[in-house]
Amino acid sequence: MKTRTAGLLILSFLFVDAAMGQLERRPVVTDRPVELTFMAPRNINLYTVENLSKHELHYSIMHTFGEVNTGISTLYGLDGGANIRFSFEYGFTDRFSAGFGRSSMDKYVDITSRLHILRQKQSGKVPLSVSLVGSAGVNTSELGYITGLGKEGYRFYDRLSFAASLLIARKFNDRLSLQLAPTVVNFNRVGQEISVADPSVNTYVALGVSGRYKVASRTAVSLQYIPVIPGLVTDPENLSYNLAVGIDIETGGHVFQMFFTTSRALNDQYLIAGPNGDFFDSEFRFGFNVNRLFSLRRGRDQGVKVEVEK
Amino acid sequence: MRSIIIILTLFLTGILPGLSGVMAQPYLTESGYAEFESRAPLLTFKGTSDHLNGLIDLEKNMIDFYLDLNTIDTGIRLRNRHMRDSYLETGKYPYAEFTGRLTTLFDPDRSGLQDVIAEGTFQIHGVERDIRVEGTLEVTDAGLLLNAGWSVKLADYNIDRPRVVFYELADEQRVTIRAELVLNDQ
Repeated sequence: MKTRTAGLLILSFLFVDAAMGQLERRPVVTDRPVELTFMAPRNINLYTVENLSKHELHYSIMHTFGEVNTGISTLYGLDGGANIRFSFEYGFTDRFSAGFGRSSMDKYVDITSRLHILRQKQSGKVPLSVSLVGSAGVNTSELGYITGLGKEGYRFYDRLSFAASLLIARKFNDRLSLQLAPTVVNFNRVGQEISVADPSVNTYVALGVSGRYKVASRTAVSLQYIPVIPGLVTDPENLSYNLAVGIDIETGGHVFQMFFTTSRALNDQYLIAGPNGDFFDSEFRFGFNVNRLFSLRRGRDQGVKVEVEK
Repeated sequence: MRSIIIILTLFLTGILPGLSGVMAQPYLTESGYAEFESRAPLLTFKGTSDHLNGLIDLEKNMIDFYLDLNTIDTGIRLRNRHMRDSYLETGKYPYAEFTGRLTTLFDPDRSGLQDVIAEGTFQIHGVERDIRVEGTLEVTDAGLLLNAGWSVKLADYNIDRPRVVFYELADEQRVTIRAELVLNDQ
């Protein structure tokens, strides 16, 4: 009883301090959305649930080089022709963004949009983030050399290909985030002239797995894995898994992503349908992305009333 | 015995004095303006918030301010996210806080700007330091208008800056606050 009384007295003195004047600390928004599930709108090559805010422009430039097993004579693949993709994506709202990009491989120009359906909440009331990604692209290579196509030749329709993914992601803690992305890809026309793994298969179904593990406050190890699921394509023997491991570095404005990957491809269509080397036979390449975000609406810096991100 | 403790507790925690109207009347705000400015070789930017909460109690000579750091906007939302996630770590340390007192005299019956100095404890990113803040106070129709500023060295508060490639964030951040506090006459 004595100790309880003493305890109560001490407790009440602690309250005095607070009651003597300090304000009670209260957050402005009680249940905030989980942020930075990934460091950038891309994790290695696959899109992520990381949204753009309204009026925000994301510029990225991505590269992959030749296979490292070509040795020192090519400086481990850096001499091999690089596939370069640049892209711009603009946030029309906090939940919807769209943009375009161009890859040098197959001179591929695509438009892509992302819709963020669900955002994970810190309270756990919404346990996952869910987004949709859709992309349509056109192969602008010179294909006039191909004969035997009849009167119409290589039509615009033949050059088109599409990709659609559902992104389901969860940030498990400050360090670990995982994302699953069931994806469908269709090439209107395939053949030896297109950089796909199997020139007889038009439609590919795949599951993209992305992960990141933060090792320091601004550095994360990233992983991308696209296994081949038997039965989902007509001839999976020609299709190999994609595996990439990398490192993300955030430098206060830029996000740099450096990685080793088994594919030259930098966009969904070719990443899913394109050929892959065997990672464990040194058939992988060096690649890197530079991500930069710009805000196209200034003025909020001048102390104008700010809406709090809900 | 039990009832004595309860009464004592109530009294000491301020509930009874509060009910009986003994409590002093502080000036309060929930919508003060706070900003920091970072001037680095490659980039100058500001982070601002209109959610500064504050209290000035002239009778007790008590000043208490806090800011929900999640409300700071730097104009680029991704930068905000990185600021929250890897610099301020607002998940662990959601508030910047200052608690102190005026060390110069302030006359509430005088009109016009009056220079004031406050000393107290500033806390951000889980680190507490004693600081001295210069500013002005002015009696207005609504209450008190406060303007103040001081410098915050990120290294002093264990806020890590990126060392790779670009210097886009200054170590010394200029913090300014502006708030009109209204007399709380409850």
